[in-house]
Amino acid sequence: MKEKRSHTDVLIIGAGIAGIEASLLLSEAGRKVHLVEKTSYTGGTVIKFEEVFSNMECSTCMVAPRQQELLQDKNINLLLLSEVEEVRGSAGDFTVKIHKKARYVDLDNCIGCNACFEPCPVSLKNEFEEGLSERKAIYIPCAGTLPNVPMIDTEHCLHFKGKNCKACQEACAFEAIDFDQKDEHLELKVGSIIVATGFNTFDPKQISDYGYGIFDDVYTAFEFERLYASNGPTGGDIVLKNGNTPKTVAIIHCVGRDKKGYCSAVCCLYSLKFNHYLKSKIPEIEISEFYRDLCIPGKSHQNFYEKMIKEIGTNMIHANDIKVTKHGEKMVVEYNNGDSKKSSLPVDMVILSPAIEPREDASKLAKILDIPLDEYGFFKEEDQDGFSVVTSKPGVFIIGGAQGPKNIQDSVSQAYAAVGKILSEQ
Amino acid sequence: MEKKIGIYICECGPNIAEKIDIDKVINAVSSLEDVKVTKRYKLLCSMDGKKFLEEEIKKHNLTHLVIAACSPKQHEQTFMGVCENAGINPYLFQLANIREQCAWVTEDKGEATEKSIRLIKAAVRRVRHHSPLEKKEIECSPDVLVIGGGIAGIHISLQLASSNRKIYLVEKTSSLGGLITNFEKIFPGMQLTSDVIKQKIYAVQKNENIEVFTESEVEEILGFFGNFEVTVRRKIDDEIVKFNVGAVVVATGATLFDPKETSQYGYGKIDDVLTSIEFEKMNLSGKISLKNGEKPRSVAIIHCVGREKKGYCSKICCMYSFKFIRYLKEKIPDVKVSNFYSDLCIPGKSYQKFYEQTKGKNIDFVRSVDIKVTKKDNKLNIEYKNERGDKKNLLVDMVILSPAIEPREDASKLAEIIGISQDEKDFFAEEHEKLGPVSTSKEGVYIVGCAQGPKDISETLVQSEAAAGKILSSLIPGRKIEPEVKVSHISESFCIGCKTCISVCSYGAITFDEKRRISVVNEVICRGCGNCVAACPSGAATIKHFTFNQLYQELREAIQ
Repeated sequence: MKEKRSHTDVLIIGAGIAGIEASLLLSEAGRKVHLVEKTSYTGGTVIKFEEVFSNMECSTCMVAPRQQELLQDKNINLLLLSEVEEVRGSAGDFTVKIHKKARYVDLDNCIGCNACFEPCPVSLKNEFEEGLSERKAIYIPCAGTLPNVPMIDTEHCLHFKGKNCKACQEACAFEAIDFDQKDEHLELKVGSIIVATGFNTFDPKQISDYGYGIFDDVYTAFEFERLYASNGPTGGDIVLKNGNTPKTVAIIHCVGRDKKGYCSAVCCLYSLKFNHYLKSKIPEIEISEFYRDLCIPGKSHQNFYEKMIKEIGTNMIHANDIKVTKHGEKMVVEYNNGDSKKSSLPVDMVILSPAIEPREDASKLAKILDIPLDEYGFFKEEDQDGFSVVTSKPGVFIIGGAQGPKNIQDSVSQAYAAVGKILSEQ
Repeated sequence: MEKKIGIYICECGPNIAEKIDIDKVINAVSSLEDVKVTKRYKLLCSMDGKKFLEEEIKKHNLTHLVIAACSPKQHEQTFMGVCENAGINPYLFQLANIREQCAWVTEDKGEATEKSIRLIKAAVRRVRHHSPLEKKEIECSPDVLVIGGGIAGIHISLQLASSNRKIYLVEKTSSLGGLITNFEKIFPGMQLTSDVIKQKIYAVQKNENIEVFTESEVEEILGFFGNFEVTVRRKIDDEIVKFNVGAVVVATGATLFDPKETSQYGYGKIDDVLTSIEFEKMNLSGKISLKNGEKPRSVAIIHCVGREKKGYCSKICCMYSFKFIRYLKEKIPDVKVSNFYSDLCIPGKSYQKFYEQTKGKNIDFVRSVDIKVTKKDNKLNIEYKNERGDKKNLLVDMVILSPAIEPREDASKLAEIIGISQDEKDFFAEEHEKLGPVSTSKEGVYIVGCAQGPKDISETLVQSEAAAGKILSSLIPGRKIEPEVKVSHISESFCIGCKTCISVCSYGAITFDEKRRISVVNEVICRGCGNCVAACPSGAATIKHFTFNQLYQELREAIQ
């Protein structure tokens, strides 16, 4: 009888903080890891943040050394611009098909000097910057991304639209730009799979009451993160669309919570972080936070709350039925406060803290992996206790925001937990 | 030995070549003392570049290498690898960053060139004072000590034992299971606790890889990651047991805030005011009743008891309070339950649903402050202020308090025995809030479950699995561990024995030699952070590869 082969290599899908930490730990154990990432860079969502609560550590400074280690780790096969297309087999013996899209820029030859950007004649909205700035058809999403190597967006690149443009290639001194690169289809054998594909945020356009997409200066939390980021579209200046500095700001919690049916666990805390962002750039700013239930669980978050609120003098308003309207130059936040009295507050800027929701392609991946989603569309843990990394399919684990809303610490714990499971099972 | 230094300047394509006059740089540095060869190359980090360097090192019998190129973050590792391949110690190398620090930031070519010359001169002067450093390898034990036989300790013991690790599980009380054995059910799934825990305890007891010490306490832990020497005292016969392990897991759990500390709730003075754990036990016994034996018709659950005093939200109290509503409704269907809360904290995808499904007839949620419990006739009187600030009251038969989770009273003692730190709330402190959630400042010591901070059972289990992941990937049977090379060294002749270094070391790497009256660094534990070097008043502490002399020589040249 033929003996069933057991593979020890691991496939990790998603190179955000959870995927990175799982990869590095498995590598330390001597395992070979195939890390598949859809985008052209590593770091996921965390690198969009300038600082992280509650210690207000610089986010990129925290993650960049880990990204560097990842890039240099010989046990980790990083597959960027790649997606999992098919998975067959069972624990210990999965066959995985991967579609690796061409980058058209050679990872080894490119030294990241950026000389190719300037001559590119194409200009587009930069998705990484939430559309708040422009990028070229050859681009990196923002300064400091790793690997520091651009990609060509073939949908908009003139060369790939049949025009005779080689501006970037001519500007490159390292022969790094290769229009002839081809997509690759890889087949891998692995024993286990970790899903670390992260999360999206709820689109506030779905609820017209918040005025998002209608009024200029209503921002989502992610847009505001980029507005504050030193490597972001304004170089870190918090300005309104008309170029003025806001004097009054409203931060609205729980945007989309009722629609989603759960509390997203991190919004109160990052909203509190925004107080620090605002105050450090605009010392005379007046901030009002409209919240429903303050959710700041755990040993270190109340201190953070008190520091933010007491030191900054934020006006905490317990409110329901919030509606944003415009009156002259100002936006007006209308609300019912605790004792059901209608009130309103005019402000220059509104920041919405939207719910965390599953990625739009979660169901597609769930089908490929043959694992279930829960009623909200997140990947479903086996015992439905809300936190486990085990799925109903042996050998397949779910970690980080892909499993449900959570903070960075909990995502990293889950990453290590999945590694623990893999190392003790095989 | 004669020094032969080679200097290689990377053009980095146009990045450096166009912004810096490399020939002028070569002229300025090629005649420095001990410099045997100075060359430029188009791209040193390329495959060809690395091969070129290796050949050069061999051809000129170089002893030291200076490369002027990009940031050490980018390619220091690359060039250290080149040194190793070519047979020179990788620490006899220095990288001058003339791209990020000159070419890319200094507009004027003359100034950029001048600055590059200074940086390279400084690097050459520094490298002349470098010493070769050698990697060390240390044997390690793959066995693990787990302190605490609650769900966290049991879970990790079973997981590690299944990977063929020998586990020493030390429990203070006479039985395994910990706090959760008092619970009838677990939220949010409401499965029976006994189904979960009994099976696990049985599995521990019959597992040959797990040695259980009940009624025992850890008395001493000496040594370091991979080589801890543990002393355990068995209280029952006062016997001392000693064994060696490679890692330690602290799973000692937490306790509840004592509501007697705040008199407002009448706890301890008025009958039928219970803590959550007392109510759990009462429910588990099968009968929910008042002191007088009657069934309560109305119950108040007061959230956040002790929260203000402790200074944090205990994360699970809202959820277990909802669970209590279900206990009550199951046993006394017509009971009226009122929840007095300040903010509902139900984070994550599965909690809100649990809350929604708990709500129903005769269940109230009252957002309130300034709660006081007194006795009024045969009832308990809850006085409170509602959201408008109006004073209100409610009469009930029974009051359940949901007190804060707090660290165990003996946490400090254990922290001292192990040599790990506590946070400002006295829970054990994790190494890094984000990237080191289960590690501590002491390598090889991990913290899991409520000993690290308030959390629910599923998070606790995940932390146990996470610590298992850390242990299984770092302590591998047969594999030796490689400690940090750039560690601190304390000069025996300069040390005045003031112990300042010991007080600032976060890793417990420095001990005091009473005989010689000096501080001694354990190079295996030291991580080379430099705290002791900065604090040492007598200049006795130095970090290898960052000695005073090396830094002085480099700086002197740079600012001359």
